[in-house]
Amino acid sequence: MMNFRIGIAAFALAAAWAHPPGFSFTIGNPVASQDFHFKTAAFVFRTESCADPAKAQISATAEGIVKGARQSVALKVMAASKPGVYAVTQSWPAEGDWVVSLRGTCGSASAGAIVPMGPKGLIRESLEFFARPATDAEIDASLKALGASK
Amino acid sequence: MDEREILDHLPKVKAPDAIWTSIEAALNDHRSPARRPWLWAFASVAVLALLAVGYWSVRHRAGEWIETDSKSRTTLRIGEIGFVEIEPGTRVRVVTEQPGEHRLALAHGEIRATISAPPKLFFVDTASGTAIDLGCEYTLSDDELGLGLLHVTKGWVSFQWKGLESLVPAGASCRTHPKIGPGIPYFDDASQRLKDALENLGVEKSAEDPLEVILAEARVRDTLTLWHLLQRVPVGDRARVYDRIAFLTPVPDGVSREKALKLDPETLRLWKDELAWKW
Amino acid sequence: MVDLIDRQISAEIVIACRSGDRDAFRSLYDLYKDRVYSIALYFLHGDQAAASDVTQQVFLKLMTSIGDFRGDAEFSTWLYRLVVNACMDAGRRRKSDAVTTDRSHLEMLAGPASQEQDYARAQMANSVRAAVSALPPKFRIAVLLRYFDDLSYEQMAKALHCSMGTVASRLSRGHRMLADRLKGLKYG
Repeated sequence: MMNFRIGIAAFALAAAWAHPPGFSFTIGNPVASQDFHFKTAAFVFRTESCADPAKAQISATAEGIVKGARQSVALKVMAASKPGVYAVTQSWPAEGDWVVSLRGTCGSASAGAIVPMGPKGLIRESLEFFARPATDAEIDASLKALGASK
Repeated sequence: MDEREILDHLPKVKAPDAIWTSIEAALNDHRSPARRPWLWAFASVAVLALLAVGYWSVRHRAGEWIETDSKSRTTLRIGEIGFVEIEPGTRVRVVTEQPGEHRLALAHGEIRATISAPPKLFFVDTASGTAIDLGCEYTLSDDELGLGLLHVTKGWVSFQWKGLESLVPAGASCRTHPKIGPGIPYFDDASQRLKDALENLGVEKSAEDPLEVILAEARVRDTLTLWHLLQRVPVGDRARVYDRIAFLTPVPDGVSREKALKLDPETLRLWKDELAWKW
Repeated sequence: MVDLIDRQISAEIVIACRSGDRDAFRSLYDLYKDRVYSIALYFLHGDQAAASDVTQQVFLKLMTSIGDFRGDAEFSTWLYRLVVNACMDAGRRRKSDAVTTDRSHLEMLAGPASQEQDYARAQMANSVRAAVSALPPKFRIAVLLRYFDDLSYEQMAKALHCSMGTVASRLSRGHRMLADRLKGLKYG
């Protein structure tokens, strides 16, 4: 029982750290969007603490390593009918290790996230969130960790 | 969506060149009906598709029974919105085949549905209730006794029986029982202990309290199971379930403990929509 | 080859067609074939074979009966009357078929499905096509005539064999049904 409670406390701390206050992203599986158009999306996400989601600037790239070579693919971010909710579909190669780097601005605030992708979709426990766009070094580190986890 | 937007999605389609060839041939020899060379083109493509796919999707009339033996399978086209693969040893009836409602009745066996359409256009009746498509891909099986299993691979399915509803998202499954309806959905990657405990819920002579096991085993993602459980356990156990969900993930604004324990529909819907971001 | 400007079909062309001038007929065909085929295709739920059949029937009928065209109505009105009749007949035949074996699909309409890179837009297009396909035949044909040739109510009334009031009512109800079906759908 003690281990169980420690686990909960650790999770609560991790959750608090994972979502800094202010403009940020929440990432989910396609079902979270409640939008049947996105049922085949790689993942969906929404903006948090953005007063006017319609004015948020969002972009995404898939960053990968295929046979040792670093690759980058610009992604189309699709808006759902619900404001502030978006989807990304897989338009990167199936081969290799890939993460998706999300970047956004809402007014003067910035946010970033690294979404590692596995064969069954996003790897939730390895998500990383930033109050700015992720740096190349952070993306490379995430890719390295993804490769090492296999 | 206004008329202009609709028109944008109905682009003019180029008429196949073969039509003119066909018209010209008819004008030349004045035979009726005219030869239709384009038909050969379509037939060739269709034969290639047949060879490639290995089966032929067909449309059936309402009231018609479709039965596969132990070695055969077939594919049923569902209007313009998708198709259903009928596995070996399956008996299924086409109940309604209309643009606004496509309904099958699964007597026994297994079907795999792939639907691309707005929610609530495709339904499958079983001995345990009705699977309602909410934009999805899923497998539904029912044995001769009516015991069933719903497994969703994309989107959502609602399984309903006499007011009881289970909402099953991609990656999750749900057992179904005649005269009981849908069971509590669980993610396929949930622990075996949790799944076993779900089976034992309501069984009086369990070695350990199934609810205790479920609460202890539940991960954040298993709030899918807990959210349904909240609505199914005896009133006295609701607080335990509520507290466990609240431990696992923050309770969103608009969801109060009091309203959740009273199973206020709007509160539960709001909570489910928020929890779905963890599912 | 006869040059045609916009939709002005001159009496000379009709006369040429009546006299069996294949080039004149080809010009008429080229001008209208895509519109006729598209209306038939969307009316017949994306069934390419049936739409090709209807297109062929319409133009053969046009060629063989152009002598009946008196010129007191616009040519397009006369043509679309043939289209409406052929589509409704084909729709009835389709309905009575116990089993159809085509794999054609609204989603497979060549241009839209392969060229729309935007996933959400493609999904939206599929929803729109499905919604149009789900309209009852009388509303569906009215909406398609309006969309594909922007006919006036008077022209539509002649093509559909009904009053202008009925045309207005069918369009209004058809659009309302589409709007209901597509409510809440939007892409970014």
